[in-house]
Amino acid sequence: MPPFELNTDISNRRDLQASDLTPYDAIYLGNPYCRVYEANFLEHVDELAEAIQQVKGEGRKAYVTTYAAPRNAFLGQIRRALEVAEREGADAVEAHNLGVLRICRTEFPGLQVFVGGFANVYTDVGAQVLLDQGATRITPNYELSLEEIGLLAKHTGAEIELLLHGKIPLGISDYCHLLEHEKAWGIQCPSLCQQDLFLRQGDWAMKSVGKGVLSGRDVCMLEHLSALWATGYRTFRLTALSERPAYRAEVGAVYRTALAAVAAGDARCPEAWWETIKRHSRIGLCNGFYFGQSGQAYVPARQEVRA
Amino acid sequence: MPTRAPACPILLAPAGSPEAAAAALAAGADALYVGLKGWSRGGGRGELTAEELKGVLAEATRHGRAVQVACNTIPKPTERAFLLERVAEIATWGVAGVIVNDIGLLTAIHRRLPGLPVTASIGSGALSWADAAFYEAAGASCLVFPAVLEPEEVAVIRRHTRLQIEVMVHMVEEFILLGRCLMPSYVRLQPQPLPDAPGDGQRLLGSMKRGGAGVCFKVCQQPWRLEKDGETWGDGIFPSRQLSRLADLPAYLAAGVDVLKLQGRSLPAEAVFALTRRFREGLDAALRGEPVAAAPAPLPAHWTAVGR
Repeated sequence: MPPFELNTDISNRRDLQASDLTPYDAIYLGNPYCRVYEANFLEHVDELAEAIQQVKGEGRKAYVTTYAAPRNAFLGQIRRALEVAEREGADAVEAHNLGVLRICRTEFPGLQVFVGGFANVYTDVGAQVLLDQGATRITPNYELSLEEIGLLAKHTGAEIELLLHGKIPLGISDYCHLLEHEKAWGIQCPSLCQQDLFLRQGDWAMKSVGKGVLSGRDVCMLEHLSALWATGYRTFRLTALSERPAYRAEVGAVYRTALAAVAAGDARCPEAWWETIKRHSRIGLCNGFYFGQSGQAYVPARQEVRA
Repeated sequence: MPTRAPACPILLAPAGSPEAAAAALAAGADALYVGLKGWSRGGGRGELTAEELKGVLAEATRHGRAVQVACNTIPKPTERAFLLERVAEIATWGVAGVIVNDIGLLTAIHRRLPGLPVTASIGSGALSWADAAFYEAAGASCLVFPAVLEPEEVAVIRRHTRLQIEVMVHMVEEFILLGRCLMPSYVRLQPQPLPDAPGDGQRLLGSMKRGGAGVCFKVCQQPWRLEKDGETWGDGIFPSRQLSRLADLPAYLAAGVDVLKLQGRSLPAEAVFALTRRFREGLDAALRGEPVAAAPAPLPAHWTAVGR
């Protein structure tokens, strides 16, 4: 086993079959934004069961995500997905919502639970409450700086998952604002939110996935990888729910190689890696909130701005 | 399932100033909520200083009404001890409870001051009975839900919890769900010194959680172009709408709501008076079993619900 975990996320069977998962140690299955996302694993539990078996059969860990902002009416389907996760031996489920964490704890005590980025973990005491409720891994809120995440990790001892590369989830809605364009564009749901649509205004851009808003720029921590490694982080996420399979494969391959190199003490970043990352970045790169600035800022490790 | 005795629901009005507090009391609010300077989601313009808070408490007590204090931005670990001391101090002044946003702070206050009711703020993002079960187990006394929840959904929540259920029956609904928005801070983050806080205390303007919705940069209200592969496919703005569930008060009462909350700490006193009076009259009519004469606003066409 490698001394780290690089994971990513996949919404449905089509993307699972089309994706080269060689770079990854673990896969989060399901789309946490929308119940009618095309063939969402969370609604198609037979396909979820097959996917868990496929991922595990390939020697990877299979995680099942859950809806980020569920109302009462979602909870029955979440239970069905959790039942499948338990029955098929999923390695963990991801709860973005405290109520779902509660359901996991009380009804599925055998399931390992990770807390996702929408759960609003901002502080060590907040994280500790969730750890006490049975969570075993925490993705801190994306607004936290590395300094704050470091303190949270130090004070709780929690396993921390960091967004290493990809778009930051910035918001979730009860509504899909793209549906009003169905007629004009001649594109129907559930294809609408898969169109690589960016909202642009002045100095900012964000990506719309219908009921979700993502950062326009891709978080890129490639040249900060050795610093993350030195701090002790070993669990990393490449967010790719809204990306094409080639993104998942090629950007993932860069990070897989980079992580293995950093683990061996080699912190170089060959230009070819940057070329791959830039080719897949539509709007540019950022560091998210890791350096205490606005999420779209990019702070270079050296005095060379890549964005 | 938990059971509880029905009680007369409380009309909880906003007060962003001593004048607004007086107006809300005059209009018939059962209780007020105010922001603690430096620490509330409502932002600096709707917060009270310690002296103002003491004055509002005295006035409310004279009317036999209660005051809750919102300290619902999330303090950094270095700020938390200071805030806990402040909460302990104001608890001795006779506040009826505090409103917080962070589950960690909620449990910390509950442990330190077990007799002080703690409300989990609307920014907690609770939407279901499972959320209520979580917050009840964590020690909250009350949980705030947005008025996007229909009375039928609230009735289901009621059957699962003994928590006080508070519904913000008058509010602005933004496109992004409350408690789930990082858009402003993605664009701009502007730390400012935190008033009355020691050391490096900061209010992070732009962060909904650590600066407050009242001081976010309203990115969601800026128009945008929708682009695909560099081509413009359309333009627009994220929808937002005023939700005012006056006509639905009888249904919410039947569902078992304990507290009817009105948003509006940024409102001037005259507006607070008018809003509170409207809901006072509506609530009184509903309690008498009379219909409440107000049509719910229809859902605009661009609010397109899917998959829920």
